[in-house]
Amino acid sequence: MMPARPPTPPARLPVVPLPTPHSPLPAVASILAALAGSLLLLFLVAPLAGLVGQGGASGVRGLFTDGELRAALTLTALTATAATLLGVVGGTPLAYLLARSEFRGRAVLAALLDLPLLVPHPVAGIALLLVLGRQSALGAALLALGLRVVGTPAGIVCAMLFVSAPLYVSGAREAFARVDRRYEAVARTLGDSRWRVFRRVTLPLSGRGLVAASVVMWARAVSEFGSIVIITYNPKVASVLSFDRFTSYGLAEALPVSAVLALLALVPLTLLRALRDEK
Amino acid sequence: MPAGGGRVESGAGLEPGPPPAAVRARSNAEEGNGRKSGRPEAVPDSRLPTPDSRVFVIEAFSLSARVGEFRLEDVTFTVPAGRYGVVIGPAGSGKTTLLETVAGITPQRGGVLRLNGRDVTGVPPERRGVGLVYQHGYLFPHLSVAENVAYGAADAATAAAVASRLGADALADRDVRSLSGGERQLVAIARALARRPAVLLLDEPFSALDPRRRALVRREVRAIHRSWELTVLQVTHDFTEAGLLGDVAILLDGGRVLQAGPPEDVFRRPASPYVAEFLGAENVFAGTVRVLGDAAPDWVEGEPAALAGGHRAIEFQSGPLTLYAVGDAHAGPAYAVIRAEEVVLSRTPHPSSARNEFRGRVTDVATLGALTRVTVDVRGVPIVAALTTRSAQELGVREGIDVVASFKAMAVHLC
Repeated sequence: MMPARPPTPPARLPVVPLPTPHSPLPAVASILAALAGSLLLLFLVAPLAGLVGQGGASGVRGLFTDGELRAALTLTALTATAATLLGVVGGTPLAYLLARSEFRGRAVLAALLDLPLLVPHPVAGIALLLVLGRQSALGAALLALGLRVVGTPAGIVCAMLFVSAPLYVSGAREAFARVDRRYEAVARTLGDSRWRVFRRVTLPLSGRGLVAASVVMWARAVSEFGSIVIITYNPKVASVLSFDRFTSYGLAEALPVSAVLALLALVPLTLLRALRDEK
Repeated sequence: MPAGGGRVESGAGLEPGPPPAAVRARSNAEEGNGRKSGRPEAVPDSRLPTPDSRVFVIEAFSLSARVGEFRLEDVTFTVPAGRYGVVIGPAGSGKTTLLETVAGITPQRGGVLRLNGRDVTGVPPERRGVGLVYQHGYLFPHLSVAENVAYGAADAATAAAVASRLGADALADRDVRSLSGGERQLVAIARALARRPAVLLLDEPFSALDPRRRALVRREVRAIHRSWELTVLQVTHDFTEAGLLGDVAILLDGGRVLQAGPPEDVFRRPASPYVAEFLGAENVFAGTVRVLGDAAPDWVEGEPAALAGGHRAIEFQSGPLTLYAVGDAHAGPAYAVIRAEEVVLSRTPHPSSARNEFRGRVTDVATLGALTRVTVDVRGVPIVAALTTRSAQELGVREGIDVVASFKAMAVHLC
């Protein structure tokens, strides 16, 4: 008797050829994509490069000779810093709430916070004027307290805060969301109150993200024009000054101021890069 | 911190105890331990056992909580003081949510939770006297290892003592981010213990450790648990661990307790066919170890390296079954675990070297795609074998036929 043969093992699996990596169509597509990308990059960078190339030198000279430019830059930096501080103070709790708590209406709150980003900036200025102007109850009350908003640096801060705070809130919210809540849970069981946990764990772990978010807010505040020009034309911030020089004196006069503003944009840009690289 | 400062002998001293008037010794410490649960029931106050921290440290009655869409419902169990509770259940069954609810991280929606006899419903986590260790440690990355251990420590001496006991002191100068998963876990356990909690909550704490270290840390946690009379509630999906560590097993599924009680009861007397099926993933037998002597080479089929570990030949008596195993277990009560995949079925006695061979009758055949689970009744004891559906068909397995179930001595895991 022949011993029963064990069932034959299945034949080796057929080898499925991989798709050839160099089919002609994707190659054409990637060339087109690269071309489109380069063109956009050129379009974005070239005007600013041209501006700095033509007006940079006189702009830097203007920093020493042009008193109005210096005053405008100082005012811009101070008001943007004030607006950012206000944004951080009010925006941090909001951002934490949005990142951590589940509550009815959270989506609505988040949408409301994004709204100022979507409104045309002159519209934002008009809305602020309506609320803070002397005809409004709030404006009248503030005026009675001696705080004049329209036509003063306070108005500039308000306009900057309105258009740039949402950027801080969304950045801070992301920074908080990146901190795993289990770190906080562990710290709670280790004896810390909610507030102490925020100070000892949440802030250190989200700190870099919060700083980055405030730099973004500050940069956005510095570059604001549309709403400021409506609420406070004078004293002039830098963006209003460049607009004023252009409409009053023409391109040549606007060039140095504009070039300096373009150059100064490199400051927050570098800061943000540094914050990211350290990660 | 405890009155009098300095070292606390029992972790229970960390928390204000129940008012003395409320303390009434219970006649039977184990009463309520095997509470039936999983059935919705109102919890009138008069039916709640008298609070007594000397009897139960963790008492959950009809506890419920919600995280997003997930609900923990009607969870009832107790862990006696100084005992080790183990929460087992499949992924997504709510094990971690249960721990977080006990810790106060996840808000409790209903029911009563007592720790040390004190109703802690609504008490914030920092005042519950619980330590929490997550699966991946969650060491604070902006602090050093030493700072992590000292974060909530009762005092510096306790932190140092706990760290050295767990071997975490050797890591003190390391950057937290450079630690391996196992090292993180070690430091996280030290950090939780340094606070001298009354209750330690562990979420799969040993899963990231390599086997050698796992045994070591497990032993150390158990030793601390004993010497401190620390009450532990640990989440695991590992039955071996559950049987090895647990005084109380809580089987959780879909946010509900399927069964709670001594692990032996839960394993050997499943409360429902579902529990049986769930536990049927493994063959778990409670029994007694008898060491026969040094294992001969033919006991360790294909794994002669096992002999170098000083493994002994072991006879394991579990009810009517006598199993043979190889291992370093000591004589006395233990559990034997045989993975269903290790059980080989044949129609006639197998000409192999498998040391364990039992004749039995097939009582159940369940096919799930490519895998078939066959339950063989051997003298009243069910042995589950998992085989490929193809080989089950070739074998002609069906209910009622007689088969031989065999597995090697090396396949028997003792714990």
